[in-house]
Amino acid sequence: MRCRIRTPAIAGVLFLIVLLTGCTTPQVSALRANAPATLPPQIELATVPFFPQEEYQCGPAALATALVYGGVATSPAALVPQVYLPGREGSLQTEMLAATRRHDRLAYRLAPSLEDLLLEVAAGNPVIVLQNLSFAFAPVWHYAVVIGYDREREEIILRSGTTRRLVMTLSTFERIWARAAHWAMVALPPRQLPETAIEANYVAAAAALERVSAAGARQAYAAALEKWPANLAARIGAGNAAYALKDLAAAAISYHQATLDHPLAGDAWNNLAQVQFELGHRNEAMLAAQRAVALGGPRIADYRDTLKAIAASP
Amino acid sequence: MNAFNRAVARLLVVCTIGLGLPMPASAGIVTTDQIHASAERDRVRDFMAREDVRAQMQSYGVDTDTVRERVAAMTDEEVGELANRIDQMPAGGDVLGVIFLVFIILLVTDILGLTKVFPFTRSVR
Repeated sequence: MRCRIRTPAIAGVLFLIVLLTGCTTPQVSALRANAPATLPPQIELATVPFFPQEEYQCGPAALATALVYGGVATSPAALVPQVYLPGREGSLQTEMLAATRRHDRLAYRLAPSLEDLLLEVAAGNPVIVLQNLSFAFAPVWHYAVVIGYDREREEIILRSGTTRRLVMTLSTFERIWARAAHWAMVALPPRQLPETAIEANYVAAAAALERVSAAGARQAYAAALEKWPANLAARIGAGNAAYALKDLAAAAISYHQATLDHPLAGDAWNNLAQVQFELGHRNEAMLAAQRAVALGGPRIADYRDTLKAIAASP
Repeated sequence: MNAFNRAVARLLVVCTIGLGLPMPASAGIVTTDQIHASAERDRVRDFMAREDVRAQMQSYGVDTDTVRERVAAMTDEEVGELANRIDQMPAGGDVLGVIFLVFIILLVTDILGLTKVFPFTRSVR
């Protein structure tokens, strides 16, 4: 494919670009106008490790940066078979999240907000970001890790590619980050809540962790319940994680608490019935199962099966 | 292969390997996944989506042994987003392979602070 270059056209484009660069990006302006009082003026997590990336492998390098900082013994090379997709010469966002869970860490996607991103960094959490370094018509997707910023100078500091300490203006960062739909994640030990955690999103992230690590999920649910004690999904999740770890007594306590906080939750009654039954408490199990069936809901068929199994036992 | 045959073939795939359908940990327990699903999800469809993603990832060069574990760590929702769309999803790679004309343009836009392809540029401001 050959391109003919027309000088006036290019000059015109460049002129337009110069006009465009005159303005600050929206989130940087908002931050300038009213940043939260809790956001320190500058921070740099200088002890975050640096793994210069190999060809195409910014995904494994960025993930290793965050995981090793969080205490996981791993390396970019060890992560290549977990996130790198040879046919695409890169790593998918989904796999960055999924691989994090495989290391017993909670993968949490941040809201698409520069303020949230900086709050996480200020709280000591390096943030993995996806950027489109180029334009939408010829994307150059790239993962990097935000480790610091300086609000006075309006700069952001990243571990990126083969550069240990890449400093760029917040405006440039916002542009290339916005072209990747403001995608950002943290990979945290499951007992630690992200600074900007949103209740429903955090509990969903804990449930995703439960797929691969019941022990990790159990810690994540405990952290969630400390902050949001009335969250039903976290309460039942805590029970389910304990149940998966064969800790039936703890599971029963969680389910029981769920039925106290949410007496209309059929799922809680059903799971309480099942675990009481397995603990040999047939009468309690029977009552709970009857309650679940009486409450009904989309999973009433499951509740009926539970009741039937309990009733059939001597 | 006509549509009917395809449907039958798919059904048979489910029947033969369907014994491996993800079942709850115990028959009596409602799983956290079930609670999180906004509506009752179609388990067979989720299963097929997972198979699709697995097959696609293998066609992109992931070997058979590791692909299963990689897909297993994804939620049903994530699998649903990926199914049949792996070729369109962003894949973070790196800067190499940018052709020369684009190189020049990006160098200029880098200096203007619109892009940040090259680590050695410093934007004017």
